[in-house]
Amino acid sequence: MSNHVRPAAATSPVLAVRGLTKRYPGVLALDGMDLEVRPREVVGLIGENGAGKSTLLKSLVGLAQPDSGSIVVRGEEVRLRGVAHAASVGIGMVFQEQSLVPNITVAENILLGAEGSGVRGGLFRWRRMAELAQVQLDKIGSTVSARARTDSLTFAQRQMVEVAKVLALEERTAHEPVVLLDEPTSVLEREEVETLFAQVRRLRERASVVFVSHRLDEVLEISDRVYVLRNGRVVAEVDPAEVDATDLHHLLIGRESTGSHYHDDAQQQPAADVRLSVRDLQTAGCTQASFEIRAGEVLGVAGVQGSGREELCRALFGAVPGARGEVLLDGKPLRLDSPRAAVLAGVGYVPSERRTEGVVSSMSVTENMSMAHVGTVCRGPVIDGRRERALVDTWVRRLGIRTPSGDTAIGTLSGGNQQKVVLARWMVSEQLRLLILDHPTRGLDVGAKSEVYELIRELAGSGCAVLLLSDTLEEALAMSHRVLVMKDGRITACLDAPRGGKPDPVAIMEAMV
Amino acid sequence: MAGDTAPHAPTRTLEPAPLAGAPAPGAGGGNGDAPAATSGRARATRSADVVQTRASLIALAVLVVVFAAISPQFRTAGNLQQIIDAAAVLAVLATGITFVLMLGAIDLSLPGVIGACAMTVSLLVANSRNTQDLGLLGIALTILLGAAFGLLSGVLSTRLRIPTFMTTLGMSAIGLGIATILFAGVRPVVLDESLGAWASHRIAGFTVMSLIAVAAVALGWAIQRWTRIGRYAAAIGGAEDIVLLSGVPVARYKTLAFGVAGAFYGLGAVMLTARLGSGVVEAGAGTDFAAITAAVIGGTLLSGGRGGVLQSMIGVLALTVLANGLILTGVSPYVQQAVQGVIVVLAVAVATWPVRRRLGVVK
Amino acid sequence: MAARMNRSRGTALIGSVVVALALSACGESSAEAEGEGSGSTGACAPEDVTLVGQVRNQTNPYEAAWLEGGDAFAESVGLEQQKLTYDGDSQQQQEQIRQVLASGDASCTVINALPNGDSDTTPIVNAADGADAWLVTQWNKPADLDPTAYDRWVAHLTYDGVESGYQIAKALFEEMGGSGGVIALQGILDTAAAQDRFLGLQKALEEYPDITLLDDQTADFDRATALEVTRTLLTQHGEEVGGIWAANDDMALGAVQALEAAGVDGVAVAGIDAVPEALEAIADGSMTATVSSDGPWQGAVGLAMGYCAATGELDVASIDAEDRAFFAEQFLITEDNVGEFSDPQLDMSEFDCDSLFSRATGPIAAS
Repeated sequence: MSNHVRPAAATSPVLAVRGLTKRYPGVLALDGMDLEVRPREVVGLIGENGAGKSTLLKSLVGLAQPDSGSIVVRGEEVRLRGVAHAASVGIGMVFQEQSLVPNITVAENILLGAEGSGVRGGLFRWRRMAELAQVQLDKIGSTVSARARTDSLTFAQRQMVEVAKVLALEERTAHEPVVLLDEPTSVLEREEVETLFAQVRRLRERASVVFVSHRLDEVLEISDRVYVLRNGRVVAEVDPAEVDATDLHHLLIGRESTGSHYHDDAQQQPAADVRLSVRDLQTAGCTQASFEIRAGEVLGVAGVQGSGREELCRALFGAVPGARGEVLLDGKPLRLDSPRAAVLAGVGYVPSERRTEGVVSSMSVTENMSMAHVGTVCRGPVIDGRRERALVDTWVRRLGIRTPSGDTAIGTLSGGNQQKVVLARWMVSEQLRLLILDHPTRGLDVGAKSEVYELIRELAGSGCAVLLLSDTLEEALAMSHRVLVMKDGRITACLDAPRGGKPDPVAIMEAMV
Repeated sequence: MAGDTAPHAPTRTLEPAPLAGAPAPGAGGGNGDAPAATSGRARATRSADVVQTRASLIALAVLVVVFAAISPQFRTAGNLQQIIDAAAVLAVLATGITFVLMLGAIDLSLPGVIGACAMTVSLLVANSRNTQDLGLLGIALTILLGAAFGLLSGVLSTRLRIPTFMTTLGMSAIGLGIATILFAGVRPVVLDESLGAWASHRIAGFTVMSLIAVAAVALGWAIQRWTRIGRYAAAIGGAEDIVLLSGVPVARYKTLAFGVAGAFYGLGAVMLTARLGSGVVEAGAGTDFAAITAAVIGGTLLSGGRGGVLQSMIGVLALTVLANGLILTGVSPYVQQAVQGVIVVLAVAVATWPVRRRLGVVK
Repeated sequence: MAARMNRSRGTALIGSVVVALALSACGESSAEAEGEGSGSTGACAPEDVTLVGQVRNQTNPYEAAWLEGGDAFAESVGLEQQKLTYDGDSQQQQEQIRQVLASGDASCTVINALPNGDSDTTPIVNAADGADAWLVTQWNKPADLDPTAYDRWVAHLTYDGVESGYQIAKALFEEMGGSGGVIALQGILDTAAAQDRFLGLQKALEEYPDITLLDDQTADFDRATALEVTRTLLTQHGEEVGGIWAANDDMALGAVQALEAAGVDGVAVAGIDAVPEALEAIADGSMTATVSSDGPWQGAVGLAMGYCAATGELDVASIDAEDRAFFAEQFLITEDNVGEFSDPQLDMSEFDCDSLFSRATGPIAAS
């Protein structure tokens, strides 16, 4: 399928990563990673969440400092101090969530901080700015006007502007740049992807490209070489011409099931009665979702980023304005207009961004735990401190939360213990009927993960319905009774995953990408 | 205010737990946003900008039409001149504060800076207290003093990382202190005839001061449009972390933006002094909130990056027309203040209506 | 440090107890002598007296002149006035009073205060009374709070706002020849001063049937606001405006500036307070009249009353009840007599202990 002219293998690499290691608390994000990028080639990077892709990219633009190992650019070892420094050696990144200032023009964004002859005597020369920016836009054949306000462009157009911005490094460094593309296709329409690919191919005439994507077919289509990452290291280097997507799936997953880790034997049969019924749920990024969850059932939702599963969960919790659809909780309509309505109806939500949405770091464990259900510890309008403390003590003991006391600021606890507090917040409520878990084990170490899994089993065993978004497919499969697969905002499959009869992850992967 | 925390933002948003999704030096959003939501938000932003300017213009037009319908005096050419004259000082002050608001910072230093500058100019030109007679040079020195105050606010905010709310409030107190020392119990009456003529001499029906104000606003607009200070101020207000990542010395340009603002306050103080005929310590009382209100009504939002000098002028005219019209239409002085408050809140509500956050949280 | 302060404070205390014992021993016949620290006469040596003058701020000529008057009096008795300004902040005023009173024995402390508002007077009086300090208050006081119920609250003095408003209105109307239209610039509407002064204007209007009140607007006692309001009112009423009545001089001066800017001649303007600029304006004919409360005298007489009481020259209990809360004399200033006020000299004989109440025109309760 590849009609590229393969660059000579002997060419010395423009960028080489040697034994790069980076440890975050509880997690080894990079574990001696080795790879190289040669001039004028497109290198594909694939790996599951947590395989080390983001940390690698951040290290390459100076946003993360590796603990050991080296980054070698054109034969010279560099310690990158930040994006500006990385740019000065010719490495630029097109961020997934875009790094353009919205309220200024395209030309200003492309030249930001390096206007050159666009500014003379402190005054902007708009015509010159536009010309300079146009040079970069022309390199990728973009038709975007250099004078347009950036926030008037579509996402795809802005992505092209970012590429143009990175290409401006060419003149500044007098070298062919290395362009890192982080999940560039995740929110693009199919036609836009084609345009992007055309441009990546043009780009290869003057630069090296590192292409990161969840979509294996795309990686195979565009890359000259592909690295498969797992657990912070490169597990395979493949030639796209010689493999297909199924081969890659096996390489990606490649680990044995660890049944006890997930407390498989604690998985019980759900009850027969339907707890939540969703018909034609419609919200930004998620269309016509229909499904049911039974009491005591764990329903996993699988999908890559941008598949719409996060939106689906937030919508059910009333946290997305404008969500519509027929949603019945125990046969009664569930309002989708505010989190409060959801809480009152017995729906709980554990957000993925624990630090910004899950806990109030400066408040105590006690306050964080009783936050959503202050009513249960109130006497009239006043919080009954004694009752609150007693309740919290009970749960701290039950969940084995390791905290010096209930008055400790939650921000000082480890991630796992914080997450247990967040879970306890919902378990405290006797009327909890549905708990939505958005990446509940994100950032936790193995031991803490296992404890969280145990809690989820316990919750389901007590009859609560659980909607689970997992970091990894493995987790979703192991924990769920059934798995919904979403892609591009739609549900594409629904598979049974009973104890002892878990479906093949490859099948799910195929429905996802 | 958002601008003050933003320098730390890159470390916060760019180094989440290793497994936490993609790095996100995105446009100020939480990194929990799905990309699809990002593009949706950008569309909302665009229409919000247009809607805001349009809403502000409509609010102004409605005020003008209503007052013109009720009051024959409002419709006269003389009253138009009066409104322009009355708006002159606020226009210059609002031009200055726009630079600060664009950053996403706030400036409460106006009462003190204006007090100190008003005393300074009245003591530097021919006056009843001393024998100084520097004329235009005195005015220029006063504007420089204003700029110095602004630069100091900026330096304190950026280098010591103190929120601008606090530094500028402190700067106001310092300015008032200096003004009180300069005042020394006797008000200096301005005897300089050319400065006095700013308020009384008319060219083509407008006072000299109004024409100076128009020139100052035009200069402010040019600074915003063509200089690094103006352009970077907008960019910093739009996404400070990204500007920082691009290698722009953000602290320097923030400080300079405060300096520009201070120079405009200095000019405003000179105009106030010309109008009042003597150096008054409290000349700037309440101007901070008037200027901020004008800017916000015009669509220059406190969150930064939005609006601009010309937008702020819509707000200045709206506020001035409101004060003028309420008197001319015979609204009782006992209820004017309340009516004014209600209309201002309505105008701000209309102007900021399209700006919604994910959960609608407003602080 | 703390220990040393305690010791010195202790010494002072012992000293004054000794004096008090000696006094009570001598004055055995006086049944009212209740010992140190209370009672309506003081026994302080003149050099032990602390004089405190407290106003809102020094940023306007009137209050600055008040403090200067206080300085002049203090100098005349060989003391220094401690000057306090609280920036129109009631909390800060109370805090300053507490600090003054907390610094040791306050029985020889004299406070001449301008309370921020009526309601601020009560805590000041209570604090001063509790610390046995001598207190004179001016301008603001709740109607039901009476100095005669206290031993050391020497007096409260204020000015009859109705009278001020009335006097300048009459002068203004006379200047206009008894007929024509006037506009009124009111002060901050919910203050007693603004309301009383406006009542005075209305009283005068009844006496001059040919004068019509075209409009009344508030300009918050503020010069810049008055300028804008006047300009707008001139647009509205044009030629009909023959006079501008302002509830203070700052607003009157703002009106004068507005008239100048609009190029309008022949409009009479009157204000209240007699600030120096207003006197100049009267002298050059751009203003017609103002009323003086005589700030320097206010600053001096309050300290003088407390000083006389503290040193025992004035027995507070013996002051005529009508003089404990009184309206002080005010002076209408017009072109005819402006020369006498342009360079105000304090007549120190007014502060002799037996002529302190010479400017009283009547008890406050009467109005």
